Amino acid sequence: MQFRDVSLRKLSDTMWEIPRSGGMRVPGLVFASERMMADIVRDEAIRQVMNVAHLPGILKYSIGMPDIHWGYGFPIGGVAAMDVAEGVISPGGVGYDINCGVRLLRSNLAMEGLRPRLRELVDGLHRDVPSGVGSTGLVRLAGKDEESVLSGGSRWCASHGYATAEDVAFTESGGAFPGADPDAVSPIAKKRGRDQLGTLGSGNHFLEIDEVAEIYDAEAAGVFGLFPGQAAVLIHSGSRGLGYQVCDDYLLTMADSMRRNRIELPDRQLACAPIRSPEGERYLSALAAAANFAFANRQLLAHLARETFLKVLGMGPRDLGMTLVYDCGHNNAKFEEHDVDGRRQRVLVHRKGATRAFPPGSPDIPEAYRGVGQPVFIPGEMGIASYVLAGSAGAMRLSFGSTCHGAGRRMSRTQAKASVRGKSIVREMENRGVLVACASQKTLAEEIPEAYKDVSEVVQVVHDAGIAVKVARLRPVAVVKG
Amino acid sequence: MRGRPFRFLPHTADLLVEARGKDLPELFARCVDALFSLISDRRYVRPAETRTVAVKADTREEQLYLLLRAALLLFSADRFLARTARVTMKKNAVALLVAGEPSDFSRHPIGREVKAVTAHALTVRETRDGVVARFVVDI
Repeated sequence: MQFRDVSLRKLSDTMWEIPRSGGMRVPGLVFASERMMADIVRDEAIRQVMNVAHLPGILKYSIGMPDIHWGYGFPIGGVAAMDVAEGVISPGGVGYDINCGVRLLRSNLAMEGLRPRLRELVDGLHRDVPSGVGSTGLVRLAGKDEESVLSGGSRWCASHGYATAEDVAFTESGGAFPGADPDAVSPIAKKRGRDQLGTLGSGNHFLEIDEVAEIYDAEAAGVFGLFPGQAAVLIHSGSRGLGYQVCDDYLLTMADSMRRNRIELPDRQLACAPIRSPEGERYLSALAAAANFAFANRQLLAHLARETFLKVLGMGPRDLGMTLVYDCGHNNAKFEEHDVDGRRQRVLVHRKGATRAFPPGSPDIPEAYRGVGQPVFIPGEMGIASYVLAGSAGAMRLSFGSTCHGAGRRMSRTQAKASVRGKSIVREMENRGVLVACASQKTLAEEIPEAYKDVSEVVQVVHDAGIAVKVARLRPVAVVKG
Repeated sequence: MRGRPFRFLPHTADLLVEARGKDLPELFARCVDALFSLISDRRYVRPAETRTVAVKADTREEQLYLLLRAALLLFSADRFLARTARVTMKKNAVALLVAGEPSDFSRHPIGREVKAVTAHALTVRETRDGVVARFVVDI
């Protein structure tokens, strides 16, 4: 397979190596089937995997997931692990939406019984869960509370009645990244986030009601509390304006510092600073604060969704049983221990559009899941399918404990919008059996299923490559979008 | 000056904006117009109040990047929507004056949430009849 003048080396049916060339410090490694690769080489994503390989301190490989697509600086669907002593931290390697991620709530309800109430539920969720541009949340953060959200994440929610102890325990890193410093977040970033806690946002963010449609791994599904025909809720959102601004602020700071230090890189959006530098350390404390804002945001969204279900269905929390399976981010940079060339080493893993997928036995996942691995949620094309996977030992060996994060775009927003001109997306989705409520028709048109790669194919690649294991398929029956 | 003042071009995951002007001040103003056209429909925005933004940079690419970054904050931090934009330049200083009003999404159609204007692939170049700029916004 060729990308421009670069010959890609096929390692297996699901893995491709981009050989080192020019200033690349390590080779590239992309997970994809032959058919997907033919699509991937059409845009600039491979070039971006190669650009990331130029970063100081990068270890083993610059990695691309099967849902990889052209971003700016880093590709979306990229993983890069850095040596802590020699390496750099790059805000572009995390993305604007810091700790954007997905959480899954299970329930005691069977979809069959719920179906007649779906319209009421989706209307209720659309009413109660703020979404779209300019929407504001149920809490307006000020002073001490703002600081506590930034340093405590989901724990702040628990102390204010928006989270149970179980919610906190089943969130990645216990719902709070360590080392967060609210002072490292600029006043403008705080202002952007102040009234956005508990808002879904826009673009590809959503809240959907799913039916557990198929189980592939009965043991893991049982441990995650999932059963066929069950109703569940999947939430995809991030750190809102606060996170976007943290990224933007530090891209500028790091671009300045690179100019001063005369560091040259192939793309300005790769701006970075040594991990052990004042700029690097400050960004990491701001990143942790923004990540905590994202955990608290998804927790509040889950709280609102539960309240709506209780109200609409007129039942008690115990009967509803809407508890958290897990919450995990897919835009992060985290210190973790990994084996590098046979040596256990502390590294900083950038994941931009890639999900952490820790294996059975990992001390960093809730004890209840240590027999089967960390739950991983892969949202697919709107209204088609989403997947539940489990982390695996293969991910530790091949991809620094990472796997894919979604379907990945195939069509640009402008192309998607042009292709639906004059059609009612809401009606078309209804014909496919999916109720949709949205704030913006424009956004909805850009998010049509055809604009994305086939999520089932993406998931099959990570399963076959061994960097996650298929557990269950979810069928969306109602979607709320911004 | 022929053609549309700005248009949106395909870029996977995000949007590529292309704007034209007869000179740099006009070009920069059209870029700001494009930005606010993404957030809402400017035809519904009344030019009731004004806001100003000033940036300084040595290259025109850097000037445009900093100007758009600051213009986005008018909305994302202060909830202000601009209907019209005017730009003046003196040496390396760029001043933006916009007319608009605080956002009210019961009257202003909801558009897209612009996370950021990126420096990735931002270009400003001369053409036969003026200047043209391209930049990617993260949606």
